[in-house]
Amino acid sequence: MLDQIVFYSLSVLVLLSALGVVLQRNAVHSSLFLGLSLAGVAGLFASLGADFLFGAQIMVYVSGIAVLVMFVVMLLGRASDLHLRQVNDRWMAALLVCAVASVGLLKIARLSSATVATVAARPGTHDIGRLFLGQWLVPFELISLVLLAALLGAVFFTRTENAS
Amino acid sequence: MSDKPEDKKPEPAKTAPVPAAAPAAAAPAAPKPAAPKYVPPEPVLNRKNGRLIEDRFTTWPTQVFINRWSRSGYQAGAAMLTGILLGLAVTGGVVGELAKWADKFYALLTAVAAAKGLPVLAVEIAWVAIKVLIVLHIVLINGLWSIWWERKISAHIQSRVGPTYAGSPSGWNFHGWAQTAIDGIKLLLKEDVTPAAADKWVHALAPGLVVAPCIIAFAPVLFGDNMAAASLDIGTLYIFAFAGISVIGIVMAGWASGNKYSLLGGLRGAAQIVSYELPRGFSVVPVLMFAGSLDLQVISNAQAGYWHGIPRWFVFYPVVGQLAFVIFLIASVAETNRTPFDIPEAESELVSGFHTEYSGMKWSIFFLAEYAYVLLGSFLLATFFLGGGASPINSVPFTLVPSWMWMLAKAMLMMFVFLWIRWTLPRFRVDQLMDFTWKFLLPWSFVNIAIAGLYLAFWLK
Repeated sequence: MLDQIVFYSLSVLVLLSALGVVLQRNAVHSSLFLGLSLAGVAGLFASLGADFLFGAQIMVYVSGIAVLVMFVVMLLGRASDLHLRQVNDRWMAALLVCAVASVGLLKIARLSSATVATVAARPGTHDIGRLFLGQWLVPFELISLVLLAALLGAVFFTRTENAS
Repeated sequence: MSDKPEDKKPEPAKTAPVPAAAPAAAAPAAPKPAAPKYVPPEPVLNRKNGRLIEDRFTTWPTQVFINRWSRSGYQAGAAMLTGILLGLAVTGGVVGELAKWADKFYALLTAVAAAKGLPVLAVEIAWVAIKVLIVLHIVLINGLWSIWWERKISAHIQSRVGPTYAGSPSGWNFHGWAQTAIDGIKLLLKEDVTPAAADKWVHALAPGLVVAPCIIAFAPVLFGDNMAAASLDIGTLYIFAFAGISVIGIVMAGWASGNKYSLLGGLRGAAQIVSYELPRGFSVVPVLMFAGSLDLQVISNAQAGYWHGIPRWFVFYPVVGQLAFVIFLIASVAETNRTPFDIPEAESELVSGFHTEYSGMKWSIFFLAEYAYVLLGSFLLATFFLGGGASPINSVPFTLVPSWMWMLAKAMLMMFVFLWIRWTLPRFRVDQLMDFTWKFLLPWSFVNIAIAGLYLAFWLK
């Protein structure tokens, strides 16, 4: 009962603020709604007992990514960012793509959503650490490599040649 | 107490008439004539009801330094210090560990609920509400205390005296103890200005978004052994995660003010805090490796015990501990936007940065958050590096002191360091600030993790 209240109110929060990201005319307001939406997802993780994911989501997405998005919007913002309509006349096509993607995700989620956890939620930090550096070591390191490549790529593309 | 110097000072002057009245009483003075000794003029004007009001400006310095303990100020100070120490000892002895009282209170709540037939959920809700209120009041009272303390420390560092008169008009105005409370009332009554160019909603929400994550981040903070509002397995991660959210409030404040100085301050704040979060997080990794947990209680317990009299605190682990401590301290000061790192509110460049357009209570909430972060940093330093509630000396009178007192003492010591740094060091330039974290703190915190790994592999198995 209490779980369901928490789940549905957080879901409403996440969905409404996600709509806010897309529909707000002011780019800064959009970025604030993005932060709220990501925080709501963190709340969903917490309500499901995934404590480490909750902390990581807040740390990486809310106080990292959302802040960087805001930073970019404010640093590179033009006056038109503040009142430009974010929806053009292709919105029907976009909605269709979103609908198809959502149905696909729903089908995938259905596969495992029927299995209910049989044990109570417990702190998972140790288990996650053991899995990352044991069973899933190679995928974990590969993802790190991808992130490193992205980092180097960003440095490469933003570096300006010296004029001299 | 204050009439004691009065008894002593006129003594040399009185010695001449006394032998005439009672020759036997003053035997040494009677035989030889009094030596030509300088007798300070007796302060007459500063008397009230026959008592000396204040002898500080009427007594000659030579006289003061002959016997400083004859001055009322010294006696009052000594009495106060003794009283404070005695009071602390009695409190420690009578109260003991606070966690024990919390357990008793929780048992009482459950018993009352069982007697009234209330569900267990009601007890849990009441208990959580009580803990939330306690943490909230720790943050609020910390604002009162630390701002007053900072003003006194800054004043004495700059050879001033700081707040002196606020208190009661004719009584106990000990070092202006009421200054912050009265300032708070003043700030509540001040006009709340929202600039015409501001984005109203974002402008109003920003202070809340700065202070709320900070209060939330206090949930797993350890105030003594087993004394946290919430015992979380991910405590460290949780604190760092929520402390990072505040930067959104700073950016919002900077942008929503509709002022280019505020915007620059907000952008600087974002860049600085996001950058310094990295060395701050990585400097704690050796501690987490040694303790093997993110839980603050486990980290504190892992530092129990002594090596030949030296406590096994992480700060005393050779090289790794000191490096981690220094990096964490520097990054924590940077996270609070305080002076060596206060470019987001640099007065000489940006008026006052992201809170230029704030007034009244909204303005003061930014400061409440700043001092709450100082307190948070102090408690984290005490928990991660200074052994939490453990005694520094392994002998009886010190080990009997309850853990919350040691914790508080260590946190206050660290808070003093925070204030001391602020009033000692000049401000960094923006590029120096960024170079410092990316080219110095971050690489060294990585090196530190590597050394900690070597320790774990070869020494601390």
